[in-house]
Amino acid sequence: MDKNFKEEFRQIIKFEPPLYKQRHQFVKDLVEKYKPKKVADLGCADCSLLWMLKFCSCIEVLAGLDICADVMKEKMHTLSPLPVDYLQPSERSLTVTLHHGSVAHKDPCMLGFDLVTCIELIEHLEESELKKFPEVVFGFMAPSIVVISTPNSEFNCLLPGVMLYRHPDHKFEWSQAEFQSWALETARCYDYSVEFTGVGHPPTGMEKVGFCTQIGVFFRKYPQTAESVQSEKPMEAVYKTVFKAVYPSLKDEKYLQNAVISEVIFTAQIIKHRLMSKREEYSDDPERKSKFQLSMDCFSDYLGKLVVEKTMEPFVSGNEVYIPLTTIFSFPKVNRLCGTFEKLCKLIAGKVTLSSDGSAVMFNIEHENEDN
Amino acid sequence: TIGLQVSSGLQDLSLRDRGGRRRDFHDLGVNTRQAMVHVQESKTGFSGKMIKLTTNHFRLTSRPQWALYQYHVGYSPEMEARRLRSALLFQHEETIGKTHAFDGSILFLPKKLENKVTELFSRTRNGEDVKITVTLTNELPPTSPTCLQFYNIIFRRLLKMLNLQQIGRNYYNPSDPVCIPNHRLMVWLGFTSSILQYEENIMLCADVSHKVLRGETVLDTMHSLHSQVGEERFRDACAKELIGLIVLTKYNNRTYRIDDIDWDNNPKSTFRKSDGSEMSFVDYYKKQYNIEISDWMQPVLISQMKRKRGNIQGSVALIPELCSLTGLTDKMRSDFNMMKDLAIHTRLPPEQRQRELGRLLNYIQKDDNVQKELRNWGLSFDNKSVSFTGRIVQGEKIFQSGAMFDYNPQFADWTKETRGVPLIRSMPMDSWLLIYTRRNYDVANTLLQSLFKVTPSMGIHMNRPSMIEVDDRTEAYLRVLQQRVTSDINIVVCILSSSRKDKYDAIKKYLCTDCPIPSQCVLARTLSKPQTIMTVATKIALQMNCKMGGELWSVEIPLKQVMIVGIDCYHDTVSGKHSIAGFVASLNQSVTRWFSRCVVQSRGQELVDGIKTCLQTALRNWSKWNKSLPSRIFVYRDGVGDGQLNTLVNYEVPQFLDCLKSIGTDYSPRLTVIVVKKRVNARFFAEVGGGLKNPPPGTVVDTVVTRPEWYDFFVVSQTVKNGCVAPTHYNVIYDTSQLKPDHVQRLTYKLCHMYYNWSGIIRVPAPCQYAHKLAFLVGQSIHREPNLMLSDRLYYL
Repeated sequence: MDKNFKEEFRQIIKFEPPLYKQRHQFVKDLVEKYKPKKVADLGCADCSLLWMLKFCSCIEVLAGLDICADVMKEKMHTLSPLPVDYLQPSERSLTVTLHHGSVAHKDPCMLGFDLVTCIELIEHLEESELKKFPEVVFGFMAPSIVVISTPNSEFNCLLPGVMLYRHPDHKFEWSQAEFQSWALETARCYDYSVEFTGVGHPPTGMEKVGFCTQIGVFFRKYPQTAESVQSEKPMEAVYKTVFKAVYPSLKDEKYLQNAVISEVIFTAQIIKHRLMSKREEYSDDPERKSKFQLSMDCFSDYLGKLVVEKTMEPFVSGNEVYIPLTTIFSFPKVNRLCGTFEKLCKLIAGKVTLSSDGSAVMFNIEHENEDN
Repeated sequence: TIGLQVSSGLQDLSLRDRGGRRRDFHDLGVNTRQAMVHVQESKTGFSGKMIKLTTNHFRLTSRPQWALYQYHVGYSPEMEARRLRSALLFQHEETIGKTHAFDGSILFLPKKLENKVTELFSRTRNGEDVKITVTLTNELPPTSPTCLQFYNIIFRRLLKMLNLQQIGRNYYNPSDPVCIPNHRLMVWLGFTSSILQYEENIMLCADVSHKVLRGETVLDTMHSLHSQVGEERFRDACAKELIGLIVLTKYNNRTYRIDDIDWDNNPKSTFRKSDGSEMSFVDYYKKQYNIEISDWMQPVLISQMKRKRGNIQGSVALIPELCSLTGLTDKMRSDFNMMKDLAIHTRLPPEQRQRELGRLLNYIQKDDNVQKELRNWGLSFDNKSVSFTGRIVQGEKIFQSGAMFDYNPQFADWTKETRGVPLIRSMPMDSWLLIYTRRNYDVANTLLQSLFKVTPSMGIHMNRPSMIEVDDRTEAYLRVLQQRVTSDINIVVCILSSSRKDKYDAIKKYLCTDCPIPSQCVLARTLSKPQTIMTVATKIALQMNCKMGGELWSVEIPLKQVMIVGIDCYHDTVSGKHSIAGFVASLNQSVTRWFSRCVVQSRGQELVDGIKTCLQTALRNWSKWNKSLPSRIFVYRDGVGDGQLNTLVNYEVPQFLDCLKSIGTDYSPRLTVIVVKKRVNARFFAEVGGGLKNPPPGTVVDTVVTRPEWYDFFVVSQTVKNGCVAPTHYNVIYDTSQLKPDHVQRLTYKLCHMYYNWSGIIRVPAPCQYAHKLAFLVGQSIHREPNLMLSDRLYYL
């Protein structure tokens, strides 16, 4: 290669978006495609990939592993649920765990994952660790998919200022051939297939240099059996858990119950409000009646089309307002939350004031309008 | 160490050091006591009987000779990115140690490095060699302001380590919320904390805090508003309900204030990203957070950024669907039922409050990481709160028409004792109007009959009013007012059938500005209960009497030739444009008559210019009433935000002095300016029989938990039915009265007895409460300065 030509590239090679973002996007695309439920990131460092993945709605278990606890702790709080996650618990469940430990050691907490990512990890491993790495990841963890990315040393000549390696902590950087032979050998050994790709395209005319970051995506060829998970003898945990966050979820009865109660009472109050203002308006000023009806129309639009049968009509009796549960159940949001009418009754039992036969939500309106 | 990423608190710190604007919420470094010679030695009072108190302050202890070392860190060549600067520096942990706080240029260490200047060499990923120069700039003693700020940052770090969620300035525990489904509310228990130098010690003041969160998004709220008010008033209603509220977002841990609603944009609109490219909100949230926005017709919310940080300029746009509401709106606050349901969870009685607080400190003591962090910095906390003695000053006697009344000081209320007793000055109701709708005809009559029963014993002479029936429309009320109100009318009483604000506003606006006549609005509902009607009528009669210029009761005021001033502010959150200062000054010796004015100020203007004018007219009026000028002036200044003390001391007080000078060269009255603060975190508990109770009214605290650099004290003047009583903090920032602290404290307490809308003791001196009432009425309903014809009456009660 012409030296001047190379010099020229040194000045201009800059990836947009930055290379680390492209690597993360690559993983995210993979997740979107294969929809894994359990994902582990080995060498998760400052947890930025995990943070990105926590927004992927298919993932229910997210784990990170790193040899350096401090670097994980630095930003681990970004993996905690947000206040809003508690206010509006999501449908899916999500648990995020961070472990402190080495990829050269086996720990049962890493079993049963669908996807394991090792982004820019292996080049930081000492020779001895690298030797144990395939057995731990492919032999022991044995997820359906493994993603491994590492620098492509052939690209280094295009990067300004890179003397030996791209980072002082790198123990090695491989050429395309070196990486591919290691990957193929590993795949063969543990019954995986592997596809090669990468991010960070080389400049035109330099295509044979390959991607700046080379990536191998490994697919397990044999199906996961219950046996293969359990075949490993029960063993001791060697990783130390440094962080664990369980996201509030509607799968958790506690949150589901809260959500249902809140929605039931809210819905009942809307109906009550409508009923009461109807009574009030009719008794008074005819001038405002038309306006009122207009707003009612917009209102039911928002709630979705309601099928209100005659038998489901709410009614007032003395100081009490009764809103039938069947009416409340016909509201889309309540319906979606509970699924069945029985479930609705079960969840609100004892938590919401009901009529004596348990068929309607009851409000006492005697003290309704008192203030001061 | 944990949390290398220095909290925003430390960023603030460095911002100030670079000359940027920041707010110091604790008003550190404002030393007002040094200028007041008479309180150099002692600022404590002496009267009253002793009471054993405990509080929510905990001593901070550090090892002897503890100091914090502040270093400046420079890079050669210059490095821009803060992350990179940190990474490069932390390659040298063996030199600087594992415990540090660094914001990119200022480094704090618990130990001193060997040399004053340390040079370190690092290499970037790109192989660039960087020289880092770490220079000792300051050795901070534990009491220095910077050090105190630093403690606060560390303590916040600890709360974060305990997995508490930060919302606004406080930290909350999200895992065990209280749900109030009737109102779609959720309450999180949390803590507010501050570490400050108090009289003798540095202490942590921690209090239980409750965060009210709402289980609905802004879009939900918009939908229900739409259903309530209809298309026509929808946008107005949204603005009124939403602007000023704080929201949380679905995707990050920030809070934003809604400053505006942009109806011309929607989620499909594009915005410019920091890299210059355009992207729609829908695409952005999908790509960045995997969030699908379902409603593409919703408007976007605008939040102004107070500070320009990084690339975020000016304002941010938020999507209603992705925002959750926090806190209460004014409308919710006025919902009696809602507040009652909330109070069950938020008004903790003294013992329970201390127990909750104990739990926090327990967490702190038990958590290994937290303890390690504290140890590394060489700090620790006492786990028992400080105890000391306060004083209960003597109760005040109430005087009404020559008679003197004792009342049970525990209840701080003399409603019963003074019932049916002639007022000091009763105003006749010779000619007055009673306006009502047809539906409320009966109620109007009931009110009239009741008034006829209660007024004679008060000494109020009352004729039959002109009874006027109107349609229940705002215009109808206004038309009647325009036709029937003449200058010889004493007062106008309107019975309203709903608490709809527009009618009330229109009536008040007309009768406070165009046609200055006192007015009284009564909700029909209030009069509908036969069992309470006499109590209600009594209250209304008293209130009307004050509005017409009457006087109810008095306490003994030993000072002569004194004018007492109260100032409070109201900030219009809806339009965000106006601030209103209410200004009230006493007119007579017995402090029973008041001169009231207000200043309406648009954004950016200083209120003090208007206040100066108010003070001048107040002095003129005082001299008209007393045939001389006052020789003493006391200003009780309420409505001062955290961090505004400096402005007050350096700007407002000199303006007061200027104003006095302008009256005449030979006029130099003694001036005392006292800053009144209701929202303080300090709580006091009386130790009674092994348990904790609220301290009784009249409890004064002027030691241990006050600040050494201030002439300040706390007074507990009111009682509360449930929960913990909040003391009021008084900070005397200027004082040439030469009065003993004891006298200033007593005068302050006396003034808490003089609010005529409540026959009992209130939280603040009456002039502050009057000023608040006035500013609130003007800010909420009138929006411009009321007619000065009314200024010698409490027309705004």
